[in-house]
Amino acid sequence: MPVPVYLPRFDPSHKSSTILRWLVSEGAAVREGDPVCEVTSDKVDMEIEAPADGTLAGVQYPVGAEVPAATVIAYVLAEGESTADLPQPAAAAPAKSGATDGSRISPVARRIAEERQIALDTVTGTGPGGRITRRDVETALPAPPGKVRATPAARRLAREFDVPLENISGSGPRGRVQGTDVQALVDQRQAAISQSGATTKPQVIKLEGMRRAIAARMQHSSQTAPHIFVEVQVDGSRIEQLRSAIKARGERLSVTALLVKACAWALQRHPRLNATLEDDVLSLWPKPHIGVAVALDDGLIVPVIHAAQAHSLRQTQTAVDDLAARARSGSLRPDDLAGGTFTISNLGMFAVDRFTAIINPPQVAILAAGRMARQFVPNEHDQPTLCPVMNLVLSVDHRAADGADAARFLADLKAVLEEPDLMLW
Amino acid sequence: MSTELSPQAAYHEVIELLGPEALKDKLRQMHLIRAFEEKVDELFLMGRTYGTLHLSIGQEATNVGSLGALAKGDYFLSHHRGHGHFLTWSDDPNRVMADILGKATGFWRGKGGTMHIADVANGNLGGNGIVGGGLPIAVGVGLSIKLRRSEQVCMVIFGDGAANEGAFHESLNMASIWKLPLVYLCENNQYAMSTPLSKAFNIRHISERAAAYGIPGVTVDGNDFFAVYLTVREAVERARRGDGPTLVESVTYRIKGHSRSDRQAYRTREEVRSWQEPDRDPILRLTRTLQAAGIISEAEADSLRQQAVERVEQAVAFADSSPDPDPATLLEDVYA
Amino acid sequence: MRELTYREALREALQQAMEADPTVFLIGEDIGVYGSAFGITAGLQEAFGEERVIDTPISEAGIAGACVGAALTGMRPVGDMQFSDFILLSMEQLVLQAAKMRYMFGGQAKIPLVMRLPGGSGTGASAQHSGSYENWFVGVPGLKVVMPSSAYDAKGLLLAAIDDDNPVMFFEHKLLYNTKGDVPAEPYRIPLGQTHRVREGRHVTVVATSIMVSRALEAAETLAQEGIELEIFDPRTLRPFDDGPIIKSVKKTGRVLIVYEAVEMGGFGGEVAARIAGSEAFDYLEAPVRRLAGKDVPMPQSRVLEYQAVPQVESIVTEGRKLARNEY
Repeated sequence: MPVPVYLPRFDPSHKSSTILRWLVSEGAAVREGDPVCEVTSDKVDMEIEAPADGTLAGVQYPVGAEVPAATVIAYVLAEGESTADLPQPAAAAPAKSGATDGSRISPVARRIAEERQIALDTVTGTGPGGRITRRDVETALPAPPGKVRATPAARRLAREFDVPLENISGSGPRGRVQGTDVQALVDQRQAAISQSGATTKPQVIKLEGMRRAIAARMQHSSQTAPHIFVEVQVDGSRIEQLRSAIKARGERLSVTALLVKACAWALQRHPRLNATLEDDVLSLWPKPHIGVAVALDDGLIVPVIHAAQAHSLRQTQTAVDDLAARARSGSLRPDDLAGGTFTISNLGMFAVDRFTAIINPPQVAILAAGRMARQFVPNEHDQPTLCPVMNLVLSVDHRAADGADAARFLADLKAVLEEPDLMLW
Repeated sequence: MSTELSPQAAYHEVIELLGPEALKDKLRQMHLIRAFEEKVDELFLMGRTYGTLHLSIGQEATNVGSLGALAKGDYFLSHHRGHGHFLTWSDDPNRVMADILGKATGFWRGKGGTMHIADVANGNLGGNGIVGGGLPIAVGVGLSIKLRRSEQVCMVIFGDGAANEGAFHESLNMASIWKLPLVYLCENNQYAMSTPLSKAFNIRHISERAAAYGIPGVTVDGNDFFAVYLTVREAVERARRGDGPTLVESVTYRIKGHSRSDRQAYRTREEVRSWQEPDRDPILRLTRTLQAAGIISEAEADSLRQQAVERVEQAVAFADSSPDPDPATLLEDVYA
Repeated sequence: MRELTYREALREALQQAMEADPTVFLIGEDIGVYGSAFGITAGLQEAFGEERVIDTPISEAGIAGACVGAALTGMRPVGDMQFSDFILLSMEQLVLQAAKMRYMFGGQAKIPLVMRLPGGSGTGASAQHSGSYENWFVGVPGLKVVMPSSAYDAKGLLLAAIDDDNPVMFFEHKLLYNTKGDVPAEPYRIPLGQTHRVREGRHVTVVATSIMVSRALEAAETLAQEGIELEIFDPRTLRPFDDGPIIKSVKKTGRVLIVYEAVEMGGFGGEVAARIAGSEAFDYLEAPVRRLAGKDVPMPQSRVLEYQAVPQVESIVTEGRKLARNEY
């Protein structure tokens, strides 16, 4: 095997050397340790020694060539070997040329010019040989607008309170705007507002706990679900009849309980609205689990009546009353709050005529019920008659369902509320 | 007082002390050093090592002879040309190779380098990149041994150049006044980088400096395994007895340049070749003596060399297949 | 609570450390019968013997190296460098060996040494015996740097330093040796690496080390009468440096004054200033970060000149006032 003669890497920073002289020619005999070649290095010229006894062959680089460190520069053939035994030469590394492309402009200057879109032919180079330096490019930049002298604290306060620094006269040395100057201005403004009587200092309540959780959910729902609102007015005559009948028995039916049962009936006919939407996955639930919004002192809570279609109206009422009572006493269990597929919010007891509700995510719909109020409506002869009327507004997530779906659901809901016997169907 | 020990007398005594098997093992250790250093040199030429290297080729007898005189549990401090010490003490070329190739599986997990291989728990208190750096540290180790009432000994190994550092004098002085259990082993390979002895010393033998501190000083032929072993052994026993430190000057020769970027303009090729002759090369000398004493045959001697070469090949394979240090460990091991 | 001087507090720490742990020993020049140049080790050789209180020849590199070697092999040496200036004769052993050995050996070693360094000016000892070199070591990973500013701190920090498994450069100040303070009798440790708020205030954050802490406190009394409140921090440990409390304070006050004896350029104050400027405290600054430190001269010998060369109470007062009044 021919023994390779290496140009060693003399030290970690040694990148390359130039061949100064070949001391032995190809084909000549050498002994191990004989110098065969002289090369440059950072410190002094170095000699490369033959690594073995034999004949020098396969010289890879001529005098003057620049050779990368740790490269084979020749071989020593043992007795009996010939040039045919030499390994095929790898593609010769091109000798590096002295001049580089970056001589006309420094890399930093080039980068700044590119970033700021400055045409280089408009820049005069003041470096050696007319080379364009960073400074040259920077002088070609348009001058920045006059900057205000202000402390970091002043700048922070100016950002926070949206106060332009330019208008503030600074109390610091040489007119520097101090944070105290900005604060003073802000306080002045605040005082002016108070003096005008518009507001006194407000009571500050930090959003915490349940309030904060509700805030977050409502914001999320409102921002991510495209709400559409579809409304019907329901003739409540039959509802009133039903309620009177039950009252006559010494018991009580609330509108909310009736709404729960009616929605359960309607949802079974409109499964697209008995659904949840999460991460682009719409899940249509087989049974309606209806949440009923209950107002508490510090917020809103929505306990759920599971499988609402299975209960009788009476059982529904019991469930509604029980959940509401436990909600107010703070004794709801996690099961009571989980798994809702639809929500009803009834503000009728607060004498609200109508309102729109924000969907309770991940559900896709919510029903907002107003109060039952007597109104004049045209009868079959187009004569005005007094009639109890309730406004229902359905909010629907347009990603899950369309206006038509909402309308069809409401049509059925209205139908069953105006003719409760249909619930037997 | 400095003396030259006669090699002839030495070897009978050593054969008595060590026995044939142990002696063969010493030869094996020397072959391991030689094969390892030759391989590492080759790797350097191929650009596979990072940073420079200081090779011990030619100094195998002083490496093996001196460390062979220490007992398990003793300490030693080495220097920048320490591969021979680390290999002899650990007999683990895999890990030393891994250290040199900068892998995570060596002794220092990628942090130290060829000059800082240590195995503190086993008494190897490390190489040192500062010439003479181990000399003051040895004083501390000696103090620690004394304060703990231990019977350990510490050998601090340094070169001829270190004998001119101020720290050398502070160290010998303190060791002498406190009678510390130390052996000062000067591996005099006759050149401090490019400076020959004649240009750096006004005395003939470095061991003469022992007199300045009132301790014994001896010069031995560092390429004669037997001489080195016997002399260091005596110094170690002296230290262990509580009689204080000894300065042993072991005269040897460094075959390769100081480091790999050494052009060696300061000495002739003839001089270097002369130290590789059979009457001077440490391995050839020990082999010849053991053959003459009937302890080893020529075939056995050759196979020792072969085995060393193979072990070193395995070490390279081990290191090559070892992972690089994890960059996440960069900030570790700064503080205890 | 009884009062001890800073010197006595240090001595008590050494004594209690040596009583509790047989691996602790002292080594240095003239620390035996002489009791050390500043009297800290007086009586200790008598109590513990020559083996544990070791007098050395004049060999600073040897002393430092001895500490390294002993620490490397199971002992806890406390070296005494006599004057902190002489540490420069042992830089190699401390910076190239002690600081780096653990890392170079891949975590195998630990070097639990303490180097006690009486430093600072104010005794007319002139340029080679009056220096402050703590900042030289702040740049060396592997070392810890501690500067006690009071008798209480001296004992607690020295005991903590001896306990620490790393090499600790312990910079005492000569002018503090005679100052008194309440020092508990039992052993106690002040944790290394925790900045201490010495005084609370609303207007200017002051970071001071060593003797500048007591000077800053005096200056604070004067300024308080003008309605200017200084909030003073003593890092106690310079490396590792706990900047959290300081940054928090700057957010409150918006103004910073860093006071130290070493030469201003290249000193520890630059490190503190850079940390503040690079932190969230930047947005709260009302004035540039100011340093008050040693003048750019070797320490002069004459009393008048020496006094001018380092911050004094009056100069701290002046700087504090200017900062508070927006003159910077």
